[in-house]
Amino acid sequence: MKDPKPFSTKTAPKRWGMLVDQRRCIGCQSCTIACKSENNVPLGYWRSWVKGLQKGAFPNAGNFFLRRLCNHCDLPPCVQVCPVQATVRREEDGVVIMYYGKCIGCGMCIAACPYDARFFNPIRNTADKCDFCVARIDQGLKPACVEACLTGALVFGDLDDPSSEIFRQLNSTGTTVLKPELGTRPKVFYIGADHSLKGRIRYSDDFKEEILEYHKHIPSPDASYWKKGR
Amino acid sequence: MEATVLYNVPHEIPWQVYIPLYFYFTGLSAGSFILSTLSTVFGIKRFKPMALPAAIISFLLLLLAPACLILDLHQPFRFWHTLVPEYFNRTSALSFGSWLLTAYPVANLIYIYYIYVKNDRVTRVLGTITVPLAIFVHAYTGFAFALVRARAWWHSALMPGFFLTSALLSGIALLLVVALIMDRYREEKLDPDLFKSLRLMMVGILLTDLFWNGCFWLTLMVSTADGIASIWFALHEKLYIYGEIVCGMLVPLALLVLPWTRQHRAWLYVASLLIIGGVFLMRYSVVYIGFDIPLS
Repeated sequence: MKDPKPFSTKTAPKRWGMLVDQRRCIGCQSCTIACKSENNVPLGYWRSWVKGLQKGAFPNAGNFFLRRLCNHCDLPPCVQVCPVQATVRREEDGVVIMYYGKCIGCGMCIAACPYDARFFNPIRNTADKCDFCVARIDQGLKPACVEACLTGALVFGDLDDPSSEIFRQLNSTGTTVLKPELGTRPKVFYIGADHSLKGRIRYSDDFKEEILEYHKHIPSPDASYWKKGR
Repeated sequence: MEATVLYNVPHEIPWQVYIPLYFYFTGLSAGSFILSTLSTVFGIKRFKPMALPAAIISFLLLLLAPACLILDLHQPFRFWHTLVPEYFNRTSALSFGSWLLTAYPVANLIYIYYIYVKNDRVTRVLGTITVPLAIFVHAYTGFAFALVRARAWWHSALMPGFFLTSALLSGIALLLVVALIMDRYREEKLDPDLFKSLRLMMVGILLTDLFWNGCFWLTLMVSTADGIASIWFALHEKLYIYGEIVCGMLVPLALLVLPWTRQHRAWLYVASLLIIGGVFLMRYSVVYIGFDIPLS
């Protein structure tokens, strides 16, 4: 039996990718909300979100944002560790998708994702993640977040198509990816992403407070490790 | 530079305490199995009385270990997916692990039967086949961590070795406790040299474990931002320092080495129990300090 293909597949090979222009992002979280309603993500859980950071002191201060979502790596660590092939990188368009019926909920992919893009969906009881709204893109639509973005900060398209907007921008602007040193080859690119937002801890003298502060916001009932948030 | 996080989404830790417990049980199992083969395969006669109890303990722990794994699954009734050849993922340590975890208890059970009927020749052959299985069953858990490049605390080539040595350590400590109890209630006394060899093995492996720890500390301290954060976070963690390092390693080491404690059975007993606890804390800290470092 070949892998089940629940979604219609396009004939022409694609390489879907996203470009996030943080210079345009105003941190309105429209994409976060669109993602939640499109994918029916349970309360307290997010497939994608906009991380915000405030730097400096008046008058030299600023708010900086970083849109977080699954980076749809070409060499995805989550696919590498899944013991049942419940998450795969689709050959025809490079989107990393989940087969929810296969997933045993072991949590290895959640532990292995360097971008913290995965979580346990408390209703499905499986791992869950952003899949570029795979049902929409297979119908030729754009992902919900891209449709919802007010300022045009999100560009979605085929990285191999020379006539696409994302191809033009990627080849004419300085872009960056998150954690390039891990060799995961992400397909989500950023323009103007501040380094202090990029998902590593800001090593300082009060890093312990920083980590504890982070853990305070985990949606579990408390910090005792063996309790799962329901 | 002053910076405040305005908004971020952390995700909860996906693993419950069953996962470190599972690592602990397979470790204990692999350790006691290897101890059991010392007489049956490697021909060290002194360990002969321990061969059967060690193998039985190893098998019983092997029943607990997969139970812990299945309890931690969010879809426990789909555990059999890991054994469907179609779903096998050759890059996943867990895929190999689930097959090893199925093959090893079966081999172990057959091995126990042949020790029980005292067929030394068959036991030797079976033991020789099962030792690599026992080693891999535990080493794969080390690889499951070592192959996660996202977390600096886990992504180390030392991890499988560290897991193996501490598995042996906990196995020996458990067997020492069993031997002390057996010696007390059995008519036929155990060879005092047995305790001496077990003690010396524990000292050797404790030193190896401390060496691994030193390697981790040094390399992480000059590692990436995540690595530096992990090690400083660990060094601030009371359970790690006082639980694992002091009570689980340094105190038992002192008890086993110092001339005025090493002769007494009672201290041997205390040291073994401390080691058994310390190895669990080692699993616990490997898992959860890894998760403590935020990635987003």
